[in-house]
Amino acid sequence: MDSRPGKKRLIAAICIALAVAVVTLASGCGGQTQKQAARGRVKVSGSTTVLPIAQEAAAEYSDANPGVRVDVQGGGSSVGVTQLIQGIVDIGMSSRNLNPDEVGKGLINHDIAFDVIAIVVNPSMPITNLSDAQVKAIFLGKVKNWKAVGGPDKPIVVVIRDQASGTRDIFDKKALGATDTKVVESTGSAIQCSSNGVMREIVGSTPNAIGYISFGYVNQNLKAISFKGVAPEVKTAATGLYPIARFLRLYTKGEAKGVVKGYIDFMLSDKFQNDIVAREYVKIKDVNIK
Amino acid sequence: MRAIVTGDRDRWVKLVMFCCASVSFVGVLLIFLFIFRESLPAITKVGIPKLFLSTDWRPKSGHYGMLAFTFGTVFTTVVAMVIAAPLGIGAAVFIDQIAPEKVGKGVRRVIELLAGIPSVVIGWFALILLVPFIRSVTGSSGFGMLAASLVLVVMSLPTITTLSAESLRAVPVELKEASAAMGATRWQSIYKIMIPSAREGLIIAVILGMGRAIGETMAVQMVIGNASQATASLLQPGSTLTTRIVQDMGEASGVFRSALFAQALMLLLLSVFLIISIRLISRERKHA
Repeated sequence: MDSRPGKKRLIAAICIALAVAVVTLASGCGGQTQKQAARGRVKVSGSTTVLPIAQEAAAEYSDANPGVRVDVQGGGSSVGVTQLIQGIVDIGMSSRNLNPDEVGKGLINHDIAFDVIAIVVNPSMPITNLSDAQVKAIFLGKVKNWKAVGGPDKPIVVVIRDQASGTRDIFDKKALGATDTKVVESTGSAIQCSSNGVMREIVGSTPNAIGYISFGYVNQNLKAISFKGVAPEVKTAATGLYPIARFLRLYTKGEAKGVVKGYIDFMLSDKFQNDIVAREYVKIKDVNIK
Repeated sequence: MRAIVTGDRDRWVKLVMFCCASVSFVGVLLIFLFIFRESLPAITKVGIPKLFLSTDWRPKSGHYGMLAFTFGTVFTTVVAMVIAAPLGIGAAVFIDQIAPEKVGKGVRRVIELLAGIPSVVIGWFALILLVPFIRSVTGSSGFGMLAASLVLVVMSLPTITTLSAESLRAVPVELKEASAAMGATRWQSIYKIMIPSAREGLIIAVILGMGRAIGETMAVQMVIGNASQATASLLQPGSTLTTRIVQDMGEASGVFRSALFAQALMLLLLSVFLIISIRLISRERKHA
């Protein structure tokens, strides 16, 4: 609204002064006093798994700090990390470790939650547990009928995530045996979907479907099954007994400063971790493994 | 004085029109050049046979074959046209020849309205109604080539119908009258006189409908299943070139990104090839 350059410059100067003040205060007093003075804009993009909590945090953080605007977008872990490296966003949300080509770009990791990935089937499927070998056989397309794994005589509809998905990356590694150097991918006949929401929709409505999804997304439309005899639960994953799990992360380029740091600290605060994170994921301080 | 002003204005108008034409011409040229340049790394590093003629698409392990998706595009488009062409031309015959004027106009308006529905809406509609319907009838997952083709039928129908009706209307009324005067029934006139004389226009209508079908992305992506396999089964999930590009472009960098541009190039070549070949067929028929 103020088009006069003088006034604009003044506002910019105030913003910078405030930002400096915030950083000084934050580093000096441990982040309590910054709330009143915080001002600015935080741009966040990346993993659709982190998206819901990041959005919740964005809303609560800017409610508490009316001068701060937090823009959160999805797109997948790779999109977040790429945009962070390119300087388009301040924070890249990710649900996987950095790829070899992303290492060494000065990215700093902030673990904010621990996520359990459940193997899910349609509730009409009478299967409750699958072994390591059975999961591999199904997702690699070697077994195409539920009968072969103790189910009814029905074709298996495999549903997986898209290339950009951190969930897919972790699933391929922890369930299918892929590593950073060895590529193992699900069968080409698998249906690909681009978010946890779509995964829930497809597996929930297709009788013979099997897929994988963040435990937080499992509802009455899906049935989470045990993997190697271990049920996907917060407890089993936190101790490392249930293997398909990963950290949800925020990456920043260099140390987080100012409102970016304020936003990340807010997500790590006990209140947010208890109220929001614990609803769907494991609180970061409850995780015993590394 | 006035004459000079008019002359000036003429020149200006000519110049402006020339600019308009150049913008689209140069635009197309630049798009071609840009897409070609971007796809060069894939063409040189992967090689034409492995890029264009392989169905092995596993970008993570360096396999960039796009044939499965090229086939998916052609397959869904052909299936869609087999359904949409008779349907669209039939609707056009009804609107122009059979229905009372008011009814015809009404039907026409509704079909034109269909063209204005954003594709994401049609896709969502298909996701909620068509996919479960196919699933319950066939016992498959519901996602796949059939669902995609049917979505394309809906998307291309307005184009085919309105343009076909237009070309039927352009047939000289004397022809129809002469046919009736010879004692031909209405069906005979339509079948023997109207449709053959409007043939060129009808073919162009189908070509343009095809263009819409080849390029459609959003609605197809929602129902095709986005699997990377090559399949000629209507009930299996697959991908088209457009859906693969949109599915993977967020992740892509390096050769992977370039391979997606190569798919865009393929898409361009495909539409150019289809349009040219069908034009040739229509010309041949005309001369025969």
